[in-house]
Amino acid sequence: MSDKIGIYVCECGPNIASKVDIERIVAEISALEDMKDIELVVKPYKLLCSVAGKAYLEEEIKANNLTHLVCAACSPRDHDSTFKEVCKKAGLNPYMYKIVNIREQCAWIISDKEEATDKAIQYIHSGIDRVLYQEPLIEKQLESNPDVLVIGGGIAGMESALNLAGKNRRVFLVERAEELGGKTVHFKKLLPRQGITASSIQNKISEVNKNPFIKVFTSTELDKIVGFLGNFEIILKNNQSGEETELLAGAVVLANGSKEADPLDFQGNEYTQDDEVYTALEIEKMYNETGKITLKNGEIPNSVALVHCIGRKEVGYCSKICCNYLVKIADYLKEQSEKTEITDLYDDICVPDKEDQEYYEKVMTQVESVRIINSRVEGNKLHYTEISGKESVLKPDMIILASALLPSEENVHFADILNIDQHESGFFLESHIKIKPVSTNTDGVFVVGSTRGACGISDAVLQAQAAAGNILTQLIPGQKIVPEVMVSEILEAYCTGCQTCLEVCVFGAIYFDEERGISVVNEAICRGCGTCVGSCPSGSIRTRHFTNPQIYQEVKEALRKC
Amino acid sequence: MDPKETVLVIGSGIAGMEASLMLSKAGKKVYLVEKLPLIGGNVIKTGESFPNMECSTCLVAPIQQEILQDKNIEVLTVSNVQSVGGEAGNFDVTILKKARYVNISACLGCGMCYPVCPVSQPNNWEQGLIEKKAIYVECAGSLPNVPVIDSKLCLRLNGTEECNLCTEACMFAAIDFSEQDELIEIKAGAIIAATGFDTIDATEIEQLGYGKYPGVFTAYELERLLASNGPTEGKLRLRDGETKPETAAIIHCTGRDLVGYCSNVCCSYAARHAHFMKEKLPEIKIYDIYTDLCLPDKHYQKLNTEIRKTKSTYIYQSEPDKLNIEEINGKLKINYLDNQGTTSGLEVDMVILTTAIKPASGMPEIADILGINLDKYGFLQTQEGSIGSICTNRSGIYAVGCAEGPKDIPSSVVQSSAAVAQVMNLLES
Ligand SMILES: Cc1cc2nc3c(=O)[nH]c(=O)nc-3n(C[C@H](O)[C@H](O)[C@H](O)COP(=O)(O)OP(=O)(O)OC[C@H]3O[C@@H](n4cnc5c(N)ncnc54)[C@H](O)[C@@H]3O)c2cc1C
Ligand SMILES: Cc1cc2nc3c(=O)[nH]c(=O)nc-3n(C[C@H](O)[C@H](O)[C@H](O)COP(=O)(O)OP(=O)(O)OC[C@H]3O[C@@H](n4cnc5c(N)ncnc54)[C@H](O)[C@@H]3O)c2cc1C
Ligand code: SF4
Ligand code: SF4
Ligand code: SF4
Ligand code: SF4
Ligand code: SF4
Repeated sequence: MSDKIGIYVCECGPNIASKVDIERIVAEISALEDMKDIELVVKPYKLLCSVAGKAYLEEEIKANNLTHLVCAACSPRDHDSTFKEVCKKAGLNPYMYKIVNIREQCAWIISDKEEATDKAIQYIHSGIDRVLYQEPLIEKQLESNPDVLVIGGGIAGMESALNLAGKNRRVFLVERAEELGGKTVHFKKLLPRQGITASSIQNKISEVNKNPFIKVFTSTELDKIVGFLGNFEIILKNNQSGEETELLAGAVVLANGSKEADPLDFQGNEYTQDDEVYTALEIEKMYNETGKITLKNGEIPNSVALVHCIGRKEVGYCSKICCNYLVKIADYLKEQSEKTEITDLYDDICVPDKEDQEYYEKVMTQVESVRIINSRVEGNKLHYTEISGKESVLKPDMIILASALLPSEENVHFADILNIDQHESGFFLESHIKIKPVSTNTDGVFVVGSTRGACGISDAVLQAQAAAGNILTQLIPGQKIVPEVMVSEILEAYCTGCQTCLEVCVFGAIYFDEERGISVVNEAICRGCGTCVGSCPSGSIRTRHFTNPQIYQEVKEALRKC
Repeated sequence: MDPKETVLVIGSGIAGMEASLMLSKAGKKVYLVEKLPLIGGNVIKTGESFPNMECSTCLVAPIQQEILQDKNIEVLTVSNVQSVGGEAGNFDVTILKKARYVNISACLGCGMCYPVCPVSQPNNWEQGLIEKKAIYVECAGSLPNVPVIDSKLCLRLNGTEECNLCTEACMFAAIDFSEQDELIEIKAGAIIAATGFDTIDATEIEQLGYGKYPGVFTAYELERLLASNGPTEGKLRLRDGETKPETAAIIHCTGRDLVGYCSNVCCSYAARHAHFMKEKLPEIKIYDIYTDLCLPDKHYQKLNTEIRKTKSTYIYQSEPDKLNIEEINGKLKINYLDNQGTTSGLEVDMVILTTAIKPASGMPEIADILGINLDKYGFLQTQEGSIGSICTNRSGIYAVGCAEGPKDIPSSVVQSSAAVAQVMNLLES
């Protein structure tokens, strides 16, 4: 079939028609010298995006048997997808069409009508040149596996599993420790807004264990993983028996949690096991196990200092939950003995959830609060500087430190095998800080809970549900996945196997084929960003729909008179 | 229409939009009901947004466009939910779609109609900093890019005279005075309430002098002054529209005691304010008067540290409720208790109040219609005593975003995605 290009010039009501000479455009485009051998259909239309306009266009494509289509109209932001849809309906491959913006780029910015018309003609000409070099692209459909791998059996991991598991979707929950629950199993109580009792945590654990669609692997870790959204191949390894399990899953939720920092790493703190200095988590464990908070000699302390923000300056972030749990610990202490004198040494008060301020204010009426700018533990003594600049020392019976929540050291390893990014703090980086808060660079891999950033249980649970929301809407059982078609390909004949492209692809879409000695793009992962194209020293990579000849043709004509 | 395949989303802020798009991708039919003529919510009032100072329009406009072009999403602007009967999996919903008097499918958004309209009114969306006509769009770039006619003020619609000016100006015959309010009845399997927030009226805290001294601004007034599509096209000026402030002070925690909670975002947007004020007027001297810094995200403290190094001087005040502002010889004098507990004074040209977030107006009414509870602050109540939930007391109805309490954009999106999980599981069963 010989080429037949349809060129439709939209008047956009008076928007374009009043500012450029539509008649001249039609006449000059119809008479283009270099298009003499190609059949052109050039027509004006008053409003192509209207219902009538779309029907007209569809009819024109069919009636004229067009092989290519150029719409000279508005910004692609407005109507590129509109005209693509029309192509699909009319049976023309949508990649054989091109929109040319003669409204925002000509009519609306050039006051001289003739000048605007000249530019519009030149742009349309360049659009025709490009469209001639375009190739039809066919969408492929890939089978996908709806099952999900969840790494980490803390509150975040468990919540993800519970929200995902169902008769059409299995969840594999992998926990390194022998038991599920993570840090939360050590808390005797939660915050008032969380219902105070910790029974909700135990309920979750038994719900997970009872759920027939969740397979729990305790004492197990992720050994290997390769693949992409819908198709991950996984090997798990039992860390006691060494036994391996092979699995397939369509998505991964990473919920490997955080750890409490050692206060000795910060602020010049110096103390030993013999001193009455404890981290908050040690106190939680003690209270949970013994029902009491006592000194080493078994007695209840008469005076306690609670110290906020240990390591906050060094790690560079606020841990978000420690102001809250210190209030909870103050509450424990007062419940245990009203006589215990508590001094709360705080830097800032960070209580960003709506009910927290009230709880804080209520408990703090029984506590002496001191605003400080720094502190240092030395044995049983606490040195600190008040906000006024005054230096003081306190020697209470017991010192309790709210130490920063740290990312797991293993995150480097996870970042590597899952091809996701870490924030400078070591926590994981979301694929968009604001609007994709639990997604990562790799489609199908989500980060939730305190491995995404220090947080409390409620945030961890909501993030876990959010990841589930993403998976439930992206990976529907029985539905195929349609990957991007404007992706890159590496031409075998030119590729020298230097592997430069492997380094630059942030999505990890390129792998090296040892047998053939060349690099290969995995089309299911590639996003068509084009970064690799520029990096290849032998010029063997091309991105479909943005090939060099296509871009060259378009630019050449657009710049002809410059 | 199968209620199991249909979801009602109320409020088109970032939370409502993200939930709608996710559900649509899964093949659900979504009704997105918005009371205002434009979608996008409060985020589009801010020129840029923290922590990465990204242009908010660039962030939100593609989402808005996607919503408007999505065939599974029916956007109902200038609309209100009137009643909700039935139960989870099968709600009967009545929506009042008010007349816009401009035909959305005919209008091109060319803007020829409003300059000719003889009636003016304050533009509240622009914080009253400028006026708009009886036929208006709230700001340049509002989406859908279609004006609306205020039926109370339009001379023709309120019966004052047979004005025809906008109709004559419109070359697309898009003005349609015959449009009527319409009651739409739908079935929906689940409902997501994402009705967002307002900020407190700063005149309520008399000692801060808002409304009395022209140099005192609210955070949203400053947002609009900094925004390139705002009333001054992004120029930072005092209320006369000409004077450049030489000194400015951002007062943190405005109204925190009054509302009883921390608003979660003001410490972070204050850093953004200082950054952009300094960018617009490099000579300006900026102070932040604060008591606590609430920077609850891995990205936020770094931002604050950087701003403190180069852009703003942070001053600690020990008792926020003792702070007051007076005007002396055209300068604003801020009196506060400093870190020694003694009274200090700071003279500036401009004061910005980080007015506390409060529940959106109309919250009690919408809660009543939905049959769901409000918490003691007036936000939507989620399951009490739960360790993290967006479920309300009525099964099948979920509360997300700032409708549930003050929070930043990512936390709003987390909640709306969490609600999507609940909706998908509910409609599946
Ligand atoms: C002293 C203290 C008191 C607190 N009190 C409260 C409170 O009252 N309310 C509140 O909301 N929050 C509180 N918190 C915060 C709370 O602990 C966290 O929000 C919560 O634990 C986060 O859950 P998570 O699932 O993200 O992480 P974690 O609890 O850390 O769980 C992570 C899980 O992943 C597992 N794991 C790690 N690496 C691997 C691996 N490679 N493979 C497999 N599994 C792995 C771990 O073994 C663990 O089970 C408190 C924190 C502290 C330190
Ligand atoms: C001054 C200021 C600056 C900020 N800057 C930032 C920032 O830089 N970065 C950041 O992350 N966060 C910032 N925030 C927070 C951010 O604005 C919110 O997180 C976000 O707007 C919440 O989105 P939402 O969808 O929940 O609510 P909203 O944005 O409030 O949207 C709610 C929508 O619902 C509509 N609605 C209300 N009631 C009804 C009803 N009854 N029927 C139908 N529709 C209704 C409203 O008209 C609105 O369109 C800032 C907040 C303030 C106050
Ligand atoms: S939550 Fe409180 S104690 Fe913890 S780092 Fe933040 S300000 Fe400091
Ligand atoms: S186009 Fe981008 S995503 Fe695709 S292989 Fe190249 S660098 Fe990777
Ligand atoms: S003049 Fe007509 S087409 Fe233009 S904005 Fe007004 S109503 Fe819409
Ligand atoms: S008809 Fe109404 S809206 Fe139109 S110009 Fe006259 S007063 Fe304004
Ligand atoms: S976010 Fe900061 S300014 Fe806002 S109420 Fe909380 S502590 Fe105050």
